Amino acid sequence: MRAVRFHGRGGQGAKTASRILGTAAFLEGFVAQDSPIYGAERRGAPVAAFTRIDTLPIKQRGAIVHPDLVVVADASLVQDPAARVLEGIDERTAVFVNSPLIAEQFQAKTSLPGRLTTLDLTDIALQQFGKRGAISALLGAVAGRLVGLQRESIREAIARELADLGLAAAVIERNQTTALQCYDAVPAVPLETGSPRPIVPVLLRTPTYEPPTRGTAGITAGPNSAIRSVAGWRTFRPVLRPDLCNGCWLCFANCPEGAIAIKPDGKPAIYYPHCKGCLDCVEVCPTDALTVERETEAAREA
Amino acid sequence: MNQTNQMMTGNLAAAWGARLADVDYVPAFPITPQTEIVETLSKWCGTGALNARFVTMDSEHSMMTAAGAAAATGARVFTATSSQGLLHAFEVLYTVAGWRVPLVLVNVSRALASPITLEPDHNDVLAARDSGFLQIHAETCQEIVDSILMAYRIAEDPRVCLPVMVNLDGFYLSFTREPVILPDPRMVQAFLPAYRPTHLGFKASSPRALGTAVLGGATYSYFRHQNHLASMNALLVHEEAAVDFERLCGRRYDLVEGYRLDDAEDVLIMTNAFASKGKAAVDVARAEGKRVGLLRLRVIRPWPADAIRHALQGRRAVAVLDQNLSPGQGGILFQEIAASLYHEALRPRALCSFIGGLGGKNLSEGEFRAIFEQTAEAGVRGKGIGPVLLYTEMEYREMEQLQYLAHDLKTGK
Ligand code: SF4
Ligand code: SF4
Repeated sequence: MRAVRFHGRGGQGAKTASRILGTAAFLEGFVAQDSPIYGAERRGAPVAAFTRIDTLPIKQRGAIVHPDLVVVADASLVQDPAARVLEGIDERTAVFVNSPLIAEQFQAKTSLPGRLTTLDLTDIALQQFGKRGAISALLGAVAGRLVGLQRESIREAIARELADLGLAAAVIERNQTTALQCYDAVPAVPLETGSPRPIVPVLLRTPTYEPPTRGTAGITAGPNSAIRSVAGWRTFRPVLRPDLCNGCWLCFANCPEGAIAIKPDGKPAIYYPHCKGCLDCVEVCPTDALTVERETEAAREA
Repeated sequence: MNQTNQMMTGNLAAAWGARLADVDYVPAFPITPQTEIVETLSKWCGTGALNARFVTMDSEHSMMTAAGAAAATGARVFTATSSQGLLHAFEVLYTVAGWRVPLVLVNVSRALASPITLEPDHNDVLAARDSGFLQIHAETCQEIVDSILMAYRIAEDPRVCLPVMVNLDGFYLSFTREPVILPDPRMVQAFLPAYRPTHLGFKASSPRALGTAVLGGATYSYFRHQNHLASMNALLVHEEAAVDFERLCGRRYDLVEGYRLDDAEDVLIMTNAFASKGKAAVDVARAEGKRVGLLRLRVIRPWPADAIRHALQGRRAVAVLDQNLSPGQGGILFQEIAASLYHEALRPRALCSFIGGLGGKNLSEGEFRAIFEQTAEAGVRGKGIGPVLLYTEMEYREMEQLQYLAHDLKTGK
């Protein structure tokens, strides 16, 4: 059994990547299973997807707690406890992170366990497609390489899955070409599945009745979203050029995070800890007063 | 203290239950055979006889939502529905039970479509048995008033904090008049003091979220299980309430009611208004020398398993008369009774399942006699029977006649 866990942000294509991997394995004659977990999240929030590959019928379902391979679509997720990227990773786990840093640099920075491979898929996607989000085929191809699937099945799987999403033939072909370049760019890391992990004994503890103040699903604490920074979600940040702004407030009205305030002079101000980088504001701005800058780690922390 | 005795319908008795409980808010939507309840409350709210806010809603779905939301502010809330109306509110039943709001909903039982009918059986109320609402099923108009008062007392206890459904049968109680003793309001105050919620209190000035989204099954499991524990606590709280109620007004209501059970070798289990007919049938059989008795289930959620086991241990045979039908399975209560008895060393030798009174179909003395005879035989054999649909030869012939009339006489289609 090969158990692969994908981590991404809503909209980055982790689910499609897990399907590309599943389909490719299926085409090669393996038994495959893929499934995503999402639902309540907003675009940009952490999501996960899972692919299992085996030669025998698969008797597992749902989340993969002990992955053989973890594929991370966005490096910022590693630092985000809500994403639970590190869960179940040990020295045996192969890890791929979409990052411009080389593996040693990244590992030194994050003390991520496991055997790490990196590649800057976002940069490749920007160069080839002009879109940072167009990385699902690339992710799927990299995952396919790491678990030892063939080039041809990856190519075919990308065609099937992207066609399902309604992409044009020419776009699919560009995706295939670029994805296979990524496939070739990562070294195959032979997966060690080793002996089955021992079952960790559990202690059952059935809760007893608690007063309804505790036993009712309610929240009476203040607005806790105020303390949750979403700055880590950005690949790009919107930047205001006040001289071009006409004060129409369209950006303010359209920001889904309420990250834009209006200053006393009538001009908008972006509160970056709550800006997730969706760039809706940039899209609606009639005067191009909002521009796009590639996010840097230094800026994100500011 | 003074208690006044007068003739009243079950619907009027339900309205009096709400009035004596001094409810604050009544969201309403009429449906036959419940309509008289909300009409009466509307009139009383209009005249000031009841100091409550009465609001007509656009559907039972909105009605339950409004009821739950109002109860979450700390108001004492009453509402009523029936049959398809209960089904329309279904989604919200689970929601408000999860909010742990202690409101009272009266359901006037009426069989579910289709075919459509106005007469009662219990598929409506029993469909809601897993919603988290507690369920009390009344046999008489008197029991309706008293059960509503007990329902608020149990619902509002901090060990419970759950909504309660009080069930009464359409026509056999809703429009049936019989003498009802109305408790003195001062007695009600002593039994049911003003409601002071600990975990609720929605108000504009303090933001709070109820029934919030939870991710990961562990959180969900915890709260759903708390719902179960709260429901189980109601077994004890019901007992305490029954003692206090009896002390104040002399009438006693337990989770289950035994009728001529002491030396009975065979026991018939029933619920609701038809249990009166069952008791009469027991009297007839007793006069003929048969050792039979009746066990009436008054509370169905929480399921009074211990009381049932205790009442049935060592009996020869038990018959469950389900006034409901779960297609593809049989009687709903029969299954639950069987489950409760499985581990009993002294369990009855035979369990018999009868389905009767669907859509308000009458149960004749002859049918009860047949039940007692078949149950006794099963007890002797040591092997249960059923589900047996109680349906007479005469009824079958009438049905054939109707089928004949309903089809094209020339073509026979
Ligand atoms: S990119 Fe613009 S619209 Fe999106 S969250 Fe940030 S400020 Fe709001
Ligand atoms: S949308 Fe553009 S022009 Fe309008 S207020 Fe925002 S930045 Fe200024």
